[in-house]
Amino acid sequence: MSANQPSSLTATQADASFRAAVRLLASLMPDAAIATGSEPPLESLAQSSEPPRTVDATIIEDGMMRSHRVFEPPIAQFAAFLDGTQVSRMLHCCADGTPIIHGTAAAVIRERRNKRLYTRRHIVARRLYANRRRVPDSLWTSLAESGISLRDTADEEGGQGPHPFASRDAAIHRLQRDREDAERDLAKEWCEREDRPLLIDGGISGMESVARSSCAVGVIKSHRTLYAERDALVTTFALKRGERSSVFRVEFERRTPVASWYLRLRDRAGTDPMWGLVRVEVAHPDRVDERAIGARADEVSRWILAEATPVSLPDGRWDKMVYGVRDCEEFLRAVI
Amino acid sequence: MTETIDVGLTGVVGPLGRVVATERKPNTPHEFHFWTALDSPVGIGTIVRVEGDQPVNGQIPEIYGIVVEGFSYTDLATPLHDVLGHDGTPGGASLAATHRAEIRLYTAAVLRQMPEEPLQPVPMGRVYLATNDDVAVALRMDGYLRGEDSTGIPVGVYRAGGTDAPIYLDADFLIGPEAAHLNITGVSGLATKTSAIEWILSSIFAHFPEKKGSVAALCFNVKGPDLCFLDQPGPIDEADKTLYEKCGVPAGPFEHVQYFAPYKPDGFSLNTLRSNEQLLGNVSSLTWGLREVLQYAEVLLNKDDVDAKADALIDFIRERVVDRDFSDALLGNKSYRVRSFADLEEWFKDVLSAMETRGNEGWRTHHVATIRKVRNRLSNISTRCAGLVTDDGGVSDLPFGSFQDRTVYVIDVASLEEAAQDLIFARVVTKLREHLEKRDLGVNHVIVFVDELNKYAPNDGQETYVRKMLLDLAERGRYLGLVLFSAQQFRSQVHRRVVGNSGTALYGRMDPDELATPGYSVLSPAVKTKLATLEKGQLMVRHPHFTQPIFVRFPRPAVMRGRDGAERYPQAVDVELDAAVLRSLRTLDPSLTLGWVRDTIGIREDEEVIRARNATLRERPADVKKFFQSQLRPVAVTHTPVRPMAPAIRSAPTDDPYGF
Repeated sequence: MSANQPSSLTATQADASFRAAVRLLASLMPDAAIATGSEPPLESLAQSSEPPRTVDATIIEDGMMRSHRVFEPPIAQFAAFLDGTQVSRMLHCCADGTPIIHGTAAAVIRERRNKRLYTRRHIVARRLYANRRRVPDSLWTSLAESGISLRDTADEEGGQGPHPFASRDAAIHRLQRDREDAERDLAKEWCEREDRPLLIDGGISGMESVARSSCAVGVIKSHRTLYAERDALVTTFALKRGERSSVFRVEFERRTPVASWYLRLRDRAGTDPMWGLVRVEVAHPDRVDERAIGARADEVSRWILAEATPVSLPDGRWDKMVYGVRDCEEFLRAVI
Repeated sequence: MTETIDVGLTGVVGPLGRVVATERKPNTPHEFHFWTALDSPVGIGTIVRVEGDQPVNGQIPEIYGIVVEGFSYTDLATPLHDVLGHDGTPGGASLAATHRAEIRLYTAAVLRQMPEEPLQPVPMGRVYLATNDDVAVALRMDGYLRGEDSTGIPVGVYRAGGTDAPIYLDADFLIGPEAAHLNITGVSGLATKTSAIEWILSSIFAHFPEKKGSVAALCFNVKGPDLCFLDQPGPIDEADKTLYEKCGVPAGPFEHVQYFAPYKPDGFSLNTLRSNEQLLGNVSSLTWGLREVLQYAEVLLNKDDVDAKADALIDFIRERVVDRDFSDALLGNKSYRVRSFADLEEWFKDVLSAMETRGNEGWRTHHVATIRKVRNRLSNISTRCAGLVTDDGGVSDLPFGSFQDRTVYVIDVASLEEAAQDLIFARVVTKLREHLEKRDLGVNHVIVFVDELNKYAPNDGQETYVRKMLLDLAERGRYLGLVLFSAQQFRSQVHRRVVGNSGTALYGRMDPDELATPGYSVLSPAVKTKLATLEKGQLMVRHPHFTQPIFVRFPRPAVMRGRDGAERYPQAVDVELDAAVLRSLRTLDPSLTLGWVRDTIGIREDEEVIRARNATLRERPADVKKFFQSQLRPVAVTHTPVRPMAPAIRSAPTDDPYGF
């Protein structure tokens, strides 16, 4: 795709913006209580369902978790950055408390040219999320006929529960999958057409073709799951700036195995052991060659360390976030 | 979709920006904001066109604006974050793999909205660089650039991006009658003010519509050799030639220039830097006699000195004595005809002498003390203005009644005392006014250029005759075709009514202190910064048709700069009377020789020779020699008697050595 090709907007033909949806519902149910738009996004209310945990991963370099100094100087090699986001707001509650939620999933690739970032392609998808079986038929039909895209959350995990929060969480999960789909589409397209490295915010194991591509590098900032236990954890927390851990394999059911390691972007400050710590995912080699995988980890680490400047301030996660990802977030914030 | 911006000679094809408005920074009917790419050719003073998205009354709105302010910032919340990001090492910034997101945000003042009604806040829309046609519409020049009816006078070229548009002033608002006058401000030493005036005069002479009549310019050269070589060509470069071509103005010196300068106190050397013999062909002397000066005695006499009683006596002299046969019982049978300061002095002497003889304290209601005071003050004029005012009453004046179209008349007053400068200004402007009122000046419009206006029309200090005249000229001159072009370094120090009545105002590079005065508060900080750093050849223009000031470039005048002229044509050294007479008369008859002049003037008194020379110059006879000789009184040939040698009483014998 050439740089000047238009960015696409994957959405329905109808105006699916939040305000348009509010207007639509108000016209369908003049007496009903409709959202005003001042409500906070549901993402800020919903608690993370993933419990913090440690996992004993299979180490494929060194045989045990060790720290490796990345000796070669950082070098900027990433050609682009990919990130996605989602925003959901309560639109209306049916009589039984079943929520109708407006959700927006978006993703973007920002390509770097001459040190400046430009939008390569972006996707914005706006939809309504609700449990089909709990929403009155007439309302569901009217919404469907309006042209706005509808997502039935009945089949989501917990979506059948009568508690409104269960329906809400199911909607958020569905929206999250939509966001991941958008990210995957963009990443897949990049990997099919490009050889240049792409930095993806988050893991890549959920996208098979991407997870097998040599040009995709996932950088994970959150550490709800730590792939080290006992001494390995101590070694990981003891990493200094510019040091990486040994490479280990991350594999889960229904996910593609990837090679991963921890990398400290910035010196630890204060008491947080995960300050400046990111986990990197790259394609797992078909045949594990310790020297090759170590060299690959050093190489990619140099690329990531080069992205430590400019800092992503004023974002609160600036210690772990590379500037290209912050730029993607800013872009998405502007367009959704 | 990404649109391609193609900046070429034909202008910009695609948009270069987008209008943006926030609650904190909303757009209004007079101002809007837009952002551009980092490499866009927009800057302070750039004219842009906005195309709205929504039609108003069935018409897509188009808004023209001029950029008056610019902002640039990144996504940083505080500079400290950048310091932290680079560990306090500035050199580390260049190693960053990515440049921070950065914005170029501009504020533009609205020049014109189409349609003009209803007047609404500027809508969101695409922003384009203004093309030549856009510039004409934005500045409302389309109203007066109508083919053969055009009244446009090029003032310079607006240049931005690929746009190179000549900017025209409306002659009806520059020369009159709708509005008139032009004022230019700028720091000294950058040759902006004088150069701009010379350029605009060239432009007026080239473009002033024939149907609006004739126009001439009268310039007072008040300092150095600034205006002394307007008829001599000066070097211009290719860029300037292009500007001349764009504006349709011939790149050459003024074709018709006449210079006037008084004499030095010696009465025979011209008091001007343009006294080189090679250039004297169009230099005339400016000398006035008693009658010319007495009409403007108010200019020269201190108000504290000349009270009502003295004023009455001056009126009496003006009305009853000067140029009339005057006799009085007090003066016996003697009849007077006062034509010159010398005659007046003799008249005063006789009057006072007669009063003293008779012991009179007063004469014709005038007290002796008043008579003495007036005698003292009037006699002093010919001393203070020596060279300009002649004792003998000889007059050499501007060609009132036969002014020529497209001609520049320069009066060099640079070396004169302030009183003499004031006298020249007052009398010349008054005469221009009188002739324009009677429609017999020779031209329909006269542009009077006065430099150093803060000296002649200051906004403080006591009221002077010259300031009153300038105020009158500024307020009423346009109805007569008398137009004031003025210049000064500090506009804030000029009388407000003078600059306020100038329909057109030009600004060269400005002094920051001057820009800090209240008169410039309407300008944005960015425009002030641009004004304080303007290059040579750039001006900011305010004109009645332009709702906002516009920046233009003008070419260097194709005339010899004063400094170059002074070097190439050095001032003639002061010479003896015979050489000075030769230099003057040679402009009429190049065959004259110094020997002939010496033989002709012989041993005559200087005053007589000067009088003859002035009469010859005034008359410009075909036979210069004959006329000059006729002006000299004949000298009787004298023969020195030869005294015969007295014979010796007795011759000494040749053989008597002792004399016996």
